[in-house]
Amino acid sequence: MPQRSITGSLRPQELEAIYAISKVVAEPISTESALVEIIKLARPVFIFDNVALYVLNKQSEELEPAFARAIGRGRSSAADLAWGEAAANQAFTSGRNYIREAEISPYTDRLDQRFYLGLPMIVGGETLGALVFIRFGGPTYTEDQINLAEFIATHVSQLLAHQALVDRVANLEAERRLTKMQDDFIAAISHELNTPLGFIKGYTTTLLREDTEWDEQTRRDFLNIIDDETDRLSELIESLLDSSRLQSGSMRMNFETLPVAEVAETLLERVRTRYENMDIRAKTELTDVKVSVDKQRLAQVLDNLISNAAKYAPRSPVFVGFYASQQKFIIAVRDKGPGIPEEYLEQIFNRFYRVPQRSAGVRGSGLGLFICDQIIKAHQGKIVAESTLGEGATFQITLPVITEQQAASNGGT
Amino acid sequence: MATRILVVDDEPRFIRLVEANLVTQGYEVTKADNGQKAVDLIVSDRPDLVLLDVMMPVLDGFEALKRIRAFSTVPIIMLTAKGEEIHRVRGLELGADDYIVKPFSANELLARVNAVIRRAEFSKPQPEQSVFQHGNLQIDLARAKVEVDGEPVLLSSTEYRLLLQFARQMGEVLTAEELLTGVWGPEYREDKEILWVCISRLRQKLESDPKEPEHILTRPGRGYMMPSLEK
Repeated sequence: MPQRSITGSLRPQELEAIYAISKVVAEPISTESALVEIIKLARPVFIFDNVALYVLNKQSEELEPAFARAIGRGRSSAADLAWGEAAANQAFTSGRNYIREAEISPYTDRLDQRFYLGLPMIVGGETLGALVFIRFGGPTYTEDQINLAEFIATHVSQLLAHQALVDRVANLEAERRLTKMQDDFIAAISHELNTPLGFIKGYTTTLLREDTEWDEQTRRDFLNIIDDETDRLSELIESLLDSSRLQSGSMRMNFETLPVAEVAETLLERVRTRYENMDIRAKTELTDVKVSVDKQRLAQVLDNLISNAAKYAPRSPVFVGFYASQQKFIIAVRDKGPGIPEEYLEQIFNRFYRVPQRSAGVRGSGLGLFICDQIIKAHQGKIVAESTLGEGATFQITLPVITEQQAASNGGT
Repeated sequence: MATRILVVDDEPRFIRLVEANLVTQGYEVTKADNGQKAVDLIVSDRPDLVLLDVMMPVLDGFEALKRIRAFSTVPIIMLTAKGEEIHRVRGLELGADDYIVKPFSANELLARVNAVIRRAEFSKPQPEQSVFQHGNLQIDLARAKVEVDGEPVLLSSTEYRLLLQFARQMGEVLTAEELLTGVWGPEYREDKEILWVCISRLRQKLESDPKEPEHILTRPGRGYMMPSLEK
């Protein structure tokens, strides 16, 4: 094929259009709007009625229409049938331009006299699809016009290649992030599991040393540590299971509709027995509304908040408040510890997140608040943290109350 | 004077475990709960060995190791968690003498500590008044100092001991197994990784071009050697 300079044979108006088209490709907004723009720019210098873009679907290995516009005479129902799929396939399979022109006859409808120009879209040796122009009732495609159409097709190809690249980068990025999250998750789990395991192994083998006699008190101390670390290991495994059940939505919840006073009383009693050495100050301001709760799970949340207070705000009294209005039931846990820096308040409910400085020397899995958040969400409620540095932290749980109607529709239970 | 060991870990329970075992062997134990304190204690107390945990707040084990190695050749054993191979190699590359993988048994801890102490004893200045010369490399055996082109080079006790092994058997090819047994102890016989890292560090420090070594050569399939220079 003779090499010809494309721009050499162009008129100023065409040149301007082509320049504008290449600018559109160079600064793509979205593929769709770039295509609309290209067609708008091409139309004054290149006559066509319909245009359709077919792109190879890599899974099905078939051409699929990606974009189509009827511009000129084709804006009628009959024209809607003429989108040049055959021409697209021809151009795509052969990798060459494909032209099929109807015979002009005064006896047939113009819309049935179709002049197809199919152009393969090739970038870097790969055929991405085909672009088809359709003229109803001619005129014939001249060499110069084909030249111009090729130029447009090249630019559309580049646009598609660019889009494909952007999509691929986005996919890879998403994949990379997922892998990193999984890696971080595994690293965090294995570290958390290894810590108690290390103590159990270390202290057991210390007691088993044949060259040393340990006195009774030391022996008991070591055994207590082993016992304690075994509990910790099983709690950790339980937390991990909880967190994955909650994440996958497979946690079984046993909801009961109960008066808030009963919920508050049960929770408080449990907290008092469990943390009998702590200075816990309770306050209740309740109405006679009811809430739908899983008592066990809610107790688990409160447990977690209070044990956090014990860990991060030792020696501070813990204020536990139960408040109810006609709309909501609030449980608040407040301590007068060092508080949590504001920039971390949102993140503390994320899985495995631990506040950097505050966590130094305090053991924790980074799962507790994540589990709390998930359990409260399963109750259609929310949990938030507030804190003023140096003055303490407050965790507030808000649960919706059961309205009269809901209670009635549930058979009044 | 008793051998003093500095244990650096942020878990009090861990320190207690290590201390209880070390004391039974007659070691004296000092403690630090973060890397910064460890660095300070090494300056003020000059311990004979440091057990350094990797995961610590304030200044983690690697950072602490880097800072310690900038001024001290004290033997250091890193404590790393299982499954973190990358940590092990990184510690060795930064100049740790050995590592212990958690969870570990009391006997393993003591064996590793004793082995590193033994190596360190060996690399302390020897009474023999002699200087060993190999090209631009000079080892002052009396003061346990190494110089390249007259410039002092800081080697860890393990690196120094490995270098002495080569110097003592100049001209002989030494297998990895022989080097590991001789320098680290028989229990390290299979630990080739530790040897590779140590040789690579020695070359970085001693060779003008570590890729074209003159002092420690690789004899593929056989081992390593310090070539005799007189022919």
